[in-house]
Amino acid sequence: MTRKQRRLTLIGVAGCVLAIAIGLVLYAMNDTIVFFNSPADIQAKNVQPGTRFRLGGLVKEGTVVRGSDQQISFEVMDAEATVKVNYKGLLPDLFREGQGIVAEGVLEQPGFFRADTVLAKHDENYMPREVADTLKKQGHWQGEAQAAPATQ
Amino acid sequence: MLVEAGHFALALALGLSLIQFVVPLWGARSNDPVLMAVAPTTALAVLGCIAFAFFALTVAYVTSDFSVLNVVENSHSTKPMIYKISGVWGNHEGSMLLWVLILALFGGVVALAKSSVPARLQANTLAVQAAITIAFLLFILTTSNPFTRVIPAPAEGQDLNPLLQDPGLAIHPPLLYIGYVGFSISFAFACAALIDGRIDAVWARIVRPWTLGAWAFLTLGIAMGSYWAYYELGWGGWWFWDPVENASLMPWLAGTALMHSTVVMEKRDALKVWTILLAILTFSLSLLGTFLVRSGVLTSVHSFAVDPARGSFILGILIIFIGGSLALFAWRAPMLRQGGLFAPVSREGALVLNNLFLATACATVFVGTLYPLALEVMTGEKISVGAPFFNATFLPLIVPLLLLLPLGQTLAWKRGNLLGTAQRLYAVFGIVLLATMALLAFRHGGPVAAPLGIGLGVYLVLGSLNEIVTRSWSKEKGLSMAWRKAAGLPRSTWGTFIAHAGVGLTVIGIAATAWGVEGLGSLKVGESLRAGAYEARLERVTPRVEANYREDVAVLTVLRDGREMGTLETMKRLYVTRGMPTTEAGIMTIGLGQVYASVGEMQPDGSVGIRLYHKPLVLLIWIGSVVMALGGGISLTDRRLRIGAPARAKAAPVAAVPAE
Amino acid sequence: MVIWIILLVMTALAVMAVLWPLSRHRAIAVQVDPDTQFYREQIAEIERDLKRGALMPAEAEAAKAEAGRRLLRATGTHSGETAAVGEPALRRRRAVSAFALSAIPILALAVYGAYGSPHLLTHPPTAQVRQQTEQLDLMRAVAQIESHLAQNPQDGRGWEVVAPVYIRMGRLDDAAKAYEAAIRHLGPEPDRLANYGEVLVLAKNGLVSAEAQAAFEQAVKLDRTSPKARYYLARAAEQDGQVEKAKAGYSELLAMSPADAPWTAVVRQELTRLGAPVPEPQPALAGQGGAPQIGAEDIARMVSGLASRLEAQGGTAEEWVRLMRSYAVLGQRDKAIEAAKRARQALAQDEKALETIDTMARELKLTDAQP
Repeated sequence: MTRKQRRLTLIGVAGCVLAIAIGLVLYAMNDTIVFFNSPADIQAKNVQPGTRFRLGGLVKEGTVVRGSDQQISFEVMDAEATVKVNYKGLLPDLFREGQGIVAEGVLEQPGFFRADTVLAKHDENYMPREVADTLKKQGHWQGEAQAAPATQ
Repeated sequence: MLVEAGHFALALALGLSLIQFVVPLWGARSNDPVLMAVAPTTALAVLGCIAFAFFALTVAYVTSDFSVLNVVENSHSTKPMIYKISGVWGNHEGSMLLWVLILALFGGVVALAKSSVPARLQANTLAVQAAITIAFLLFILTTSNPFTRVIPAPAEGQDLNPLLQDPGLAIHPPLLYIGYVGFSISFAFACAALIDGRIDAVWARIVRPWTLGAWAFLTLGIAMGSYWAYYELGWGGWWFWDPVENASLMPWLAGTALMHSTVVMEKRDALKVWTILLAILTFSLSLLGTFLVRSGVLTSVHSFAVDPARGSFILGILIIFIGGSLALFAWRAPMLRQGGLFAPVSREGALVLNNLFLATACATVFVGTLYPLALEVMTGEKISVGAPFFNATFLPLIVPLLLLLPLGQTLAWKRGNLLGTAQRLYAVFGIVLLATMALLAFRHGGPVAAPLGIGLGVYLVLGSLNEIVTRSWSKEKGLSMAWRKAAGLPRSTWGTFIAHAGVGLTVIGIAATAWGVEGLGSLKVGESLRAGAYEARLERVTPRVEANYREDVAVLTVLRDGREMGTLETMKRLYVTRGMPTTEAGIMTIGLGQVYASVGEMQPDGSVGIRLYHKPLVLLIWIGSVVMALGGGISLTDRRLRIGAPARAKAAPVAAVPAE
Repeated sequence: MVIWIILLVMTALAVMAVLWPLSRHRAIAVQVDPDTQFYREQIAEIERDLKRGALMPAEAEAAKAEAGRRLLRATGTHSGETAAVGEPALRRRRAVSAFALSAIPILALAVYGAYGSPHLLTHPPTAQVRQQTEQLDLMRAVAQIESHLAQNPQDGRGWEVVAPVYIRMGRLDDAAKAYEAAIRHLGPEPDRLANYGEVLVLAKNGLVSAEAQAAFEQAVKLDRTSPKARYYLARAAEQDGQVEKAKAGYSELLAMSPADAPWTAVVRQELTRLGAPVPEPQPALAGQGGAPQIGAEDIARMVSGLASRLEAQGGTAEEWVRLMRSYAVLGQRDKAIEAAKRARQALAQDEKALETIDTMARELKLTDAQP
C-alpha cells in the first residue's frame, strides 16, 4: 500500500465511525429524550395522552393516598393547574406534602399521570431544580428565607 | 492562630506560583540553566505551603474550631472523627483546596524526578503547572475561601450532609481528584513540548507513567463513586448517566485513549500530534468536569446566573486554559516533525481504531451531557437526557471496540496478519461460543442481552489469558519452562492483560444485571417478600439512637428455598441537626451476587414498605474496575517505564527492547 | 507576637526557595547543556546497572545505543551553548532575585490582608476551648437521654428534663416536641404548659402564636398566678395591638408577684415601654434575668452572633427583620432602632426589602426609627 492509500484508509475509517456516531446521536435525540413539563405546561403545550415526559411540581397538601400494596396516588400542582399521579413503589426519602418532586412516566388521559419513577434527587432546599426554576418563573418561590436556621 | 497561618500560607503559595510560572519560562527561552533550576525548588515550596494550609484546615475540623465558617457549615462536634476529617473535602471550599493540594503534589513529584525528565522539559512543564495553580489559588482565595472566620463563634456546627457521612465517600473524592488532576501533568508536558517545539518518543515515555497513574486512580475513583451510589442512594442502581458521573467518565475515556496513543508514539514514533491534542483534551475535560460540578450550573442554570462569582470564575479558567492550549496547539503543532505512517493491519493500526472509538464514544457522552444545558440556556426548554440516550449511542460504539480488543492485543507491531491472529484465538472463539450457547439454553426465556454480554466478557478475559499462554507455552519445553517464561514477560505486558481482563469482568457484571429481579411490598412483622429465588421475612422493626442520628431498623431474614441464609438490616435514618432523612440499604453478599433490601415508609397499620432485589454477579462490576486499576499499577512498575517515574534513582532506561 | 514571627519565617523560607538555586549558579553552570545532560546521565546509569548486573549486556548495549542516538539528536537542537555565565546571566539573576524578594511578600501580604482576618492575630478568640468541652459533655448527656427516650417514649419525666437542654442547644422544635410529649404523659400542669408555650414563642422569634396563646391560657386556667403564662399573655395582647389590655396584664402580674420575684424588673421595663404608670420599684431587685427561664444571656448571645454576621457580611431583609424583632423581644429598643437604621442603609437599593423593614418597624412600634 502506498503512503497515500494508507492515509486514505485511515481517513475513511475515521469518517465512517464518525458518521455512525452522528447518526446514532441524531436518532437517539429524536427517540429517547424526555421533556420536562409542569402541570400548567400540559395544557399550554397541549400534551397528548400517551406521551412520556417528566412532570414536576409541588405535591398538593392532603392529596396523598396510600393504597394497598404500595400503590400511591397524589396530586402535583403548580400555580395554575393540578395533575393526578399514580405510582407504585417506594417513595424517595424527601417526598412530603407541599414539597417539590419530579415524576417520570406517561400521561394516561388528560389530568391523569402514571409515574414509574419519582425522583429523589434534589438540592439542599428539597427542591428539584426544574421545579424550582418553574416556580421561580411563576413567582411562587421564596428562596431560602424560610429555610434559614432558627439559631446561629 | 493556626488557621490564620494556613490562610497566609495559601497567599504565599500564590506568590511562589507566580515565580514558578515566570522564571522557568524565561530560563528556557534564554537558555539559562540557573533560572530553569528555580522551577523544582519553587514547586516544592508551593507544595509545602499548600500542604500546610490543608493541614491547618484539617486541624480546625478535628478540633471543631467553630470560628471558621467552613467548619460551622460542615461539621458538628458529635460527628465521628473519620467524618470530621473527610468533612474537610466534603464541601465546596475544602474540595477545591484538596484539588490544588493534589495539583501541587504532582508538581512536587515532577520536581523531584530530576533523573527522569530533561531539565528544559521539566522547567517548561512546571511553569505550565504553575499557571494552573495560580488560577485555582485565585479562585479559592477570592470566591471559595475555606478560612473565612465567624466571630463570635457559634456554639455548634450545622453538620455535614448525611449522604456524605459514609466511608465510601470519604475516600472517593481524593481518588477521583488524583485522577482528574493527574492528567494536568500530561497536559503540562504537552504544552511544554509545544512551547519547546520538540517532541519525540522520549517525551511519550516520560508522559506515559503519569497518564497511567492518573488513569488508574480515576478508574478507582469512578468505581468507588459508583459503588457508593449503589448502596447509599437506596435504589440499587450503580450508574445513572447523571451529569456528575459523566463529568468523570469523559476524562476517563479520553485518558484511556491517551494511554494507548502514547504507546504507539513510544514504540513507533507516530501519532505525535494526535497524542498532544489528546493530552490537552483530556485535561480540558477534567476542567470541564470541575466546572460542571463546582459552578452550580447543574443544580440550576438559573442559580448559576444569579450567583455568578464562582461559576463565571471557573468558566473563565476553563476558557483561558482550553482556549490557550488549543491556540498554542494550532500555532505550534504544524512545526512538529510528523511521525511515520503505518499499515492498517497492525498493533498500531488497532490502537488507532481504539482511539477512534474511545474518542467518538467520549464525544457522544459530551453531547448528551451538555446538550440539555445548552438547550435550556438558549430556548428555555427543559429536557432530560438519560440512560436510553446513552444506551443508544454509547453502547454501539463501545461494543465493537470490545470485540476488537483481543484481536488488537494479539496483533504484531508494524505488520500484522489478521488471519494468523484470528487463528491464535480459535480456542477462545470456540469456548466463548459454547459458553454463550449454554447460557442461552440454560436461562431459557430470560433476556437475550445477558448471555450475549457475558459471552463478550468471557471473550475478553479468555483473550487476555490466551495471550499470556501462547507467549509462554510451547509443547516441547514443558510446564515449568512456560511458567518461567510467563514470569519473565515484561510487567507492562502483564499489566495490559490484567487490565483487559478487568474490562471483561466488568462487562460480565454489567451484562448480568439484566438477570436482576426485584420484589416490592408492604410487610407486617412475620410476612415475607420474594425476589427470584430469594425470600425475605420481616423479623422486627426497632428504633435506635446514635450520636448524630436516630433510625428505625428493619431486620430481615433472607431465605433461599426455605433455608435461612442470614439476616440483613435496612434503616430509615433521621439526621438530627439537619433534620434530613436518609435510607440505608441492607446488603448481603452471596458469592459474587448480592441480595439488596431497602426500607420505605412506615404505614399507619404497622407495616413497612420493602424493596428487595437479587443482583447476580453484580460485584464483578467493581471487582473488574479494581482489576483494571491494578493492571495499570503493575504496568507502572515496569522497569522500562521507570525512566519517566519519579523517585527511582536506580532507574534503568532500557530503551530499545521491544515488547515482543 | 509569636504569630507575626511565624509568618515572617514562612515568608523568608518561601523567598529562600527561589534564591537558593540562584545562589548555586556556579554549580549549575558547570553542568553542560541541560538538553544533553539528561542523556549523558542516562548512559552513565546504564553502565552502572551493567556493572551491578541489573542489566543483560545485550540489553545494556541496545539501551546505550538508543540513548546515544537521542544525545546526538539533542545536541545542536538549541544554540548548543548555555547561557549561565557572563554579564546577561548575572543581570537575569539579579532581576529574578529582586522579583522574588518583592513579589512574594507583597503579593502574600496583600492577598492575606484583603481576604484574611489579620485583626484576629493580635486578639485571638480565647474563650473558645472552654466552651467547647462544656458543649461536648452536654452533647454526650443529651445523646444518653435520647437513647433512653427512644426506648421508653412514655417517660414524661425524661422529656421534661431534656426539653430545657434542647433550648440551650438551640433545637427549639425538638424542645417543643419534648414538652408536648411531657404534657401528654404527665398531664397538663401550669408550669409545663407555660414552658411549652414559651418554647413556641422562642421558636417564632418572640411572636406569640395562637398555639402558644392557647397553652398559656390553659396554664392560667389551671393556676391563675402562673407568672410566665400571664407575662406572655400580656405580650400576646401587645402584639395583637391591644395595648391597654397588655398594660393591664402587666400591672396585674406585677401586683400579684412577690416584690423580689426575678421577673418584676422585666415587667416594669415593659410597662415603662408601653408608657404605663409603673408602681414604685422595690430596692431588692436588680436587673436579674427575667421571666424567660433560659435566660436572656442565651438569647443575647444568639442575637449578637446574628448582629455581627449581618454587620460583617450583610444579609437578607428577613434576617434584618429577625434581628430587629429579637432586640425588641429582649427589650433593647434602642438597639432595635439602630438595627432598623442599619438595615435601611444596607438594603437601600432594594425597594421590597425596605418595605419589609418598614412594616416590621411599624409592627414593633419603632416609631423613631422611621426615616
